[in-house]
Amino acid sequence: MALYEYSWLILLAPLFAFAVIVFGTRFWDLLSRPRVAAATTHAEVHAVAEHGAGGETHAEHESDVELIETTGPHGEKIILENDEDPKVPQLTPGARWSGYLGVIIIALACLYSWLILLASAGALPGVPPLPPGGINLSAISYTWLQQSTASYVIDFRLNNLAIAMMVVVTTISLLVQFYSQGYMENSAGYARFFAYLSLFAFSMLMIVFAANFLVIFIGWELVGLSSYLLIGFWINKKAKPAEDRLSPASASIEAFIANRVGDVGFLIGIMILFVNTGTFNFADLAGPASNPFSVAHNFANNQALLTIAMILVFCGAIGKSAQIPLQVWLPPAMEGPTPVSALIHAATMVAAGVYMVAVTFPLFATAGPAAFGVVAWIGGITALFAATIGLVQRDFKRVLAFSTISQLGYMFVGLGVAGPLYGPGPGMFHLFTHAFFKALLFLGAGSVLYALHHAMHREVQDMRLMGGLAKYMPITAITWLIATLSISGFPFFAGFYSKDTIISLAFNQGDYALWAITLLTAGFTAFYMLRAYILAFGGKGGGFGGLWGGTYRGTGEPHESPITITLPLILLAIASIVAGYWTGFFSYIQPGAPNLDIPMILNDAVATPVGALSVILALAGFVWAYILYTRFELASIDAFVQSHAVLRALHRIVLNKFYVDEFYDLLIRYVVLGISHIEQAFDTYVVDGLVNGTARLVVTLGRDLRYIETGRVQTYMVGIFGGIVVLIIFVFVLVNFVK
Amino acid sequence: MGLTLNHFLVLGALLFCIGLYGALAKRNAIAVLMGIEIMLNAVNITMVGFSFFNQVRPYSTFLTGQIFAIFIITVAAAEAAVALAMIIAIYRRRSTVDVGEIDMMKW
Repeated sequence: MALYEYSWLILLAPLFAFAVIVFGTRFWDLLSRPRVAAATTHAEVHAVAEHGAGGETHAEHESDVELIETTGPHGEKIILENDEDPKVPQLTPGARWSGYLGVIIIALACLYSWLILLASAGALPGVPPLPPGGINLSAISYTWLQQSTASYVIDFRLNNLAIAMMVVVTTISLLVQFYSQGYMENSAGYARFFAYLSLFAFSMLMIVFAANFLVIFIGWELVGLSSYLLIGFWINKKAKPAEDRLSPASASIEAFIANRVGDVGFLIGIMILFVNTGTFNFADLAGPASNPFSVAHNFANNQALLTIAMILVFCGAIGKSAQIPLQVWLPPAMEGPTPVSALIHAATMVAAGVYMVAVTFPLFATAGPAAFGVVAWIGGITALFAATIGLVQRDFKRVLAFSTISQLGYMFVGLGVAGPLYGPGPGMFHLFTHAFFKALLFLGAGSVLYALHHAMHREVQDMRLMGGLAKYMPITAITWLIATLSISGFPFFAGFYSKDTIISLAFNQGDYALWAITLLTAGFTAFYMLRAYILAFGGKGGGFGGLWGGTYRGTGEPHESPITITLPLILLAIASIVAGYWTGFFSYIQPGAPNLDIPMILNDAVATPVGALSVILALAGFVWAYILYTRFELASIDAFVQSHAVLRALHRIVLNKFYVDEFYDLLIRYVVLGISHIEQAFDTYVVDGLVNGTARLVVTLGRDLRYIETGRVQTYMVGIFGGIVVLIIFVFVLVNFVK
Repeated sequence: MGLTLNHFLVLGALLFCIGLYGALAKRNAIAVLMGIEIMLNAVNITMVGFSFFNQVRPYSTFLTGQIFAIFIITVAAAEAAVALAMIIAIYRRRSTVDVGEIDMMKW
C-alpha cells in the first residue's frame, strides 16, 4: 500500500520543478559564468556579464517582429521574419539545466505513475490493487478553514479513475517536455517555458488528485492560468490578419476569458451543491441516501435543483473542454507553441472537463437523465459542428484544433449515454486513447512546422504551402499516418475501439439521433484527417497512389526533425495503437462494467449492419478524401468550389466557422458594450450626480451664506440676543401651550 | 409701601434694556462698552434683589447674589480695562472708534 500512499510525490514533483526552475536558473547562470581575466577591457566584461545574467529574458522583445529582406541563392528576394534572429541568445547553462530538470522530474513522476497504474490493474505481483473507493492521501490533506457548520478541506485522494488520468498527464507531459528540448531551442525564454510546463503539470495533477470540489476548482483555475501563460508564451508575436490569426497575447486573453465564462457556472453549481449538502467531498456527495451529506439525501425532494446544479457544473466543463457555445477559444489558442498545443489543447487541459464530469458521474446519475441529456447533446452537437468546420480549414494546426473539439464532443457523448453499467468508462477510454493520438498529431504537426521553418525561414502553417513532405520527413509522416488512422476509427487502431464503443453505446441506449450524429462525425473526421495528411505529406504524383510524397508547394528543402522531436512521435505512435487493447479499462474505472470485447467488436464491424456502418462511413471519408486530394491539385479543387455559387457560399460559411466568432463579436460589441454604456451612463449621471450634487450644494450654500458674516460686532450681538428671545418665546410656548 | 422685589426687577429690566439698546445701537465703541457695563449692573441689581428678598431657601442668608454681584463688578472692571485698551489700540491704528467701521473680520 505504501506504493499508493506516496503517490502525492507525483503531485508535488512538478511544483518542485517549477520552484527550482524559477529560482535556480539565474543561480546556475551565475555559477557557470565565465571567469573574466583581469586583462580584459571594461566593455568586454560588461558584455559577458550581461549575456550571462540577463540571457534568459533577453531579446524577447526582438523576436518575430520585423521583417528582414535578403536575397536567396538564385538571386530572388526573400522576406525573412527574424524569429531566427541572431540576437536571440544561445541557451544559457541555466536555461539548459532548467530544461533537463523539468524533464527528469516529470520522468520520475511518469515512471511512478505507470508503476501505480500497473499495480492497481493487478499486473504488479506483490502489490494489491486499490480498494474500490480509492484511498485518501492524508499526508498532504489538511483543513484549510473550519467553521461551525462547514469545513473547507484541502483533500486529495487516489482511485482508479485518477490513476488513468494521472498516467495520461504525466506521460504526455514527459513526452512534450522532452520534445520541447529540441523544439524550443531557438526560442527566447526557454527556462520560463519549462517553468510554465511544470506549473501546468502540477495544476493538472491537482485536478486529478482532487477529492472535493474545492481542490478541483483551485486546480481548475491554476490550469486556466498556466494555459494563459503558455498560449501567450511568444508574447511579442504579432497578429497575422491575412491568415486570420490572432497574436498569442490576444489568443491567451480570449482563452482565459472564455474559460471564466464557463467557470462562473461551475462555481455557482458548486455553491448550490455546497449550500444544500454542506460538503464538497465527492465521496460524500455521491454516497447513498443514508449519508446525510449525499446529494441523494439532500436533494430527494428537489430533483430539479440538482439537475440545474449539475448542468451548471457542466458549464465549467463546457468552458474548459471548448464545447459549444464556448468553443471559440481553442482554435486561436493554437498560436501558442506547438508542444503547448499538444499538451494543453489536445491531451490534458481540455480533457479536464471530461475528467471532471467523469469524477462527478454519480452526481449526474443522481440528477437523472436530463443532466446526462445535456451532456450528451452538447457533446454531440459540438462533435458534428467542429468536424464540419474542420473539413475546410487550411491551417495545419487549426484542423487539429477543430478535431480536438470534435473528439471532446465524442467524449461527452460517451459520458452522457454510458448509463449506470459502464459509468464514466467509455468517455474516459476515448480520453485515454485520444490523448495519445492527438498529442502525436500535434507533435507531428510541430515537427512539420519546425522543418518548414528551417526550410522557408518563416513560420508556415498553411497546408497550401506543404505537400509531399513524406519523402523529406518519413518518421513524422508515418507516425502522423498512424495517428490519422487512429483518430479516424480505422479498425485495429486505438481510436477505433474507443470511438466504436461510444457509437454503439449511443445506438444501444436508443439515442438514434446521437448515434447518427456520431456516425456522421466519424465520416467527417476520417475525411478531414486524411485530407490534412495528404495535403501535408502526400499529393498528386506521390508514391502509394499519392499517399507518400508528391509535389512540395513550399520553398527550400525541409529535413527530418532531430531525435528529440521524432522519439516522442515514435513512442506516441506505439501508444496510439496499443492503448486500445487495454480491454479491462471499463471495469478498471467502474467495477462490474463489462470488458472491451475486441473479437466481438471486430465481428460486429463485419457481421452486423450497425457495426459495419461506422467502419463504412470512416472508410467512405477516407476514400473521398483520397480521391479528391491525390487525384486533383489543390488549386483545381479550390477553383471548382469557387466556380459554383452554392459550394462557394457553403465553403465560405464553414471556413468562417459558421460566423460564430463574428456573432460573438457583435454580441459583445452591441449587447455587452451597450449594457456597459447604459451602466456607465447610470454611473456618470446618477451616482456621480448624487456625489457631485451634494458637493455643489455645500459649495453654493457656503458661498451664499457667508454674507451673514459681516464682521460687525453689533450684528453678532443682535444675533445672540435675538436668538435668546426666540428661545424664550419657544420655551414659553412650550410650557404654556403644549400639553 | 416699602421696597419689594418687583421694584428691583423692574429697575433691572429697564437698565438692561437701556444697556442693550446702547450696546446695539451706538456707533461709538466707548458707548457700546458703557452699554455693556449697564447691562452687567442691571443683572447685578436683579441678583441682589433676588437674594435679598428670598424667603424660602435658608441658604439665602449666605448672600449668594451679593457675592455674585461683587465678582461681576470685579470682572467688569477688568473687562472695561481690557476693552478700553483695545479701543485705544484700534484708534491709534485706524483713527476711528466707530464699531460700524471695524469690520475687518467679515467674509
